[in-house]
Amino acid sequence: MDTLTQLVSGFSVALSPENLLFVFVGVLAGTIIGILPGLGPMTAIALMIPIAFGMDPTTAIIMLAGVYYGAVFGGSTSSILLNAPGIAGTVATSFDGYPMARDGRAGKALAVAAIASFVGGTVGVVGLMLIAPTLSKVAVSFGPAEYFGLMVLGLTAVVSLAGKNVTKGLISAVVGVIIALVGIDSATGTLRFTFDRPELYEGIDFLIVALGVFALAEVFVLLSRRGHGGAQGGVTSLRLSKREVRAMTPSALRGSVLGFFTGVLPGAGATVASFLSYSTEKRIASDGDTFGSGNIKGVAAPEAGNNGAAIGSFVPLLTLGVPGSGTTAILLGALLVLGVQPGPMMLEQHPGVFWGVVASMYIGSIVLLILNLPLIPLFAKVLNTPKAVLLPLVVVFCVMGVYGLSFSVFDLWLLIGFGVLGFLMRANSFPAAPLILGLILGGLMERNMRQALQISGGDWSVFVTQPIPAVLLGLAAASLLPTVIGLIRRRRERADREREVPAA
Amino acid sequence: MTEFRFSHRTIAVAIAGFALVYLLGAYHLPDFVAVDVPVQPATLPRGLGYLLLGLAAMLYFQRAEQAEEGTATGETATEQPAEADEVGLGRLRDTRLELAVFLVAACLYVALFAVAGFVLATAAYIASAVWYLGYPRHLVTVLTSVTIPLAAYIGMSEGLGVSLPNGPLPF
Repeated sequence: MDTLTQLVSGFSVALSPENLLFVFVGVLAGTIIGILPGLGPMTAIALMIPIAFGMDPTTAIIMLAGVYYGAVFGGSTSSILLNAPGIAGTVATSFDGYPMARDGRAGKALAVAAIASFVGGTVGVVGLMLIAPTLSKVAVSFGPAEYFGLMVLGLTAVVSLAGKNVTKGLISAVVGVIIALVGIDSATGTLRFTFDRPELYEGIDFLIVALGVFALAEVFVLLSRRGHGGAQGGVTSLRLSKREVRAMTPSALRGSVLGFFTGVLPGAGATVASFLSYSTEKRIASDGDTFGSGNIKGVAAPEAGNNGAAIGSFVPLLTLGVPGSGTTAILLGALLVLGVQPGPMMLEQHPGVFWGVVASMYIGSIVLLILNLPLIPLFAKVLNTPKAVLLPLVVVFCVMGVYGLSFSVFDLWLLIGFGVLGFLMRANSFPAAPLILGLILGGLMERNMRQALQISGGDWSVFVTQPIPAVLLGLAAASLLPTVIGLIRRRRERADREREVPAA
Repeated sequence: MTEFRFSHRTIAVAIAGFALVYLLGAYHLPDFVAVDVPVQPATLPRGLGYLLLGLAAMLYFQRAEQAEEGTATGETATEQPAEADEVGLGRLRDTRLELAVFLVAACLYVALFAVAGFVLATAAYIASAVWYLGYPRHLVTVLTSVTIPLAAYIGMSEGLGVSLPNGPLPF
């Protein structure tokens, strides 16, 4: 009851007209900035901090929460409309979001993304409210061995993202990990595959690869089809049928819960959460085989997942004062400048601020929905642009995003290289999604594995003797079983058919 | 896209070639000897090289399946009826040449990006690419190629603090 009273007082502060105005400003600014590739929530919040300095702390936090939500939603918008994921957390959204846009359902895809984001945010806030202190203890107990288990579990999503040809999916994933290993080895400082190019010392950024193999490759594909296909304008109704709402609700709820718990763990929370939500949904959905061709559940699950994870990442921030991601680190800085010290004592010493932040996050989530649903037809109008104009603009969009990230022309050459690679992969039915998954999780997996082995003195049994890694690795193995069984069954059926044909 | 589709065997040989070169590079990575480390920097790259070789071998012996085309996640390639104004982008009959022209144009854009600056390089790229792809309304092409780079430049450099190369332009 005490929690509820505190929350009500938090809402009474957050709902003043001034605070509502600034949350609108924050969500709008965040959405616009988030649409640009390379400028994710972290940049959006950093850009808005100078504006927040002169404000009352609560108003400032409310506005920054709005910026955070808006930027995540903005990233999904470019994923859905242009197949150009601006941040790692929205890659999975493009798998079904872009095919929906291609079918003339861009409006629906954006509406599903907005609603699922709202569901993810809501479930996340409830989770934050109820179990934040308990969860933060679990998050702290996660060491390298546990993270290794989690990354392996995330990588098993490869098989569900691979389509019918698992070999090609695995090849894509291995190439993704190979790309992730370029640069200075963080454990020993050894240069790996940098070819004496200083530009490669820091590794190859995810955004260059994602924009290359998704957005630029799509431009080449459309050109090779002379402009046929691609996202269609015109039919951009937002209205979801009862059947569609029924279909997306369980997916969004499952994605939210999974996303929240994954997001609590410091590290690649939102990205792992969106991939895990997507692949879990694909595995358990009765129409899982239609994922990748514009299934509404394939948009709802990762969107709810990445928003749930965004809220989950606040758990270690608010309860321990430990930022688990770049975005929460920037927010921590903003909170400190505003005179708010997050940490174990925050809930006891400044309950008003804690609940004010929780309430503001919830309001940010609602405003995102109210503001962006009417804006969706405007966003979807991008698709009415004639292809002859749109294709060069997408190239400019990608170049601008990559250059803004590193200010390096070398990265632009890499972008074009990955665009060609992505096109050849598409032409030969190699899925690009496992490549991105391998790229994001491969490096993290190796780092955590080596740290765990360093701590254990080279004892590999650490991964099976400790309970959490053992459970995670067990889950990873179990999640592969249906695919292996399916492959064996298909092979047997094919062999049977071949035996029957000569007999006939 | 059939011009760019290769048989499983051709792709497998190319991947195996890449895996061998990668393995060679992995075996040239130095061991870290300053302190005792349980896993050397070259361990995972070597493992990945062999894994890729194994997968290439599997692909080599795999039969091509028509059904697999366009079934991978996010890769569905459903052909759709094009709208009237979209039919026949480009000018050359051979798709391979058409793509090569577009690729060269993108490379020129990147090469000129730092030298000519964002505004000039982008304006020239948009104008030439839109004209080449066959958009008939030249006034719109000119307006697009001038306003978009300028708006993006001002928005990025003034609004968001992301400095794009200015080239010979004074701002």
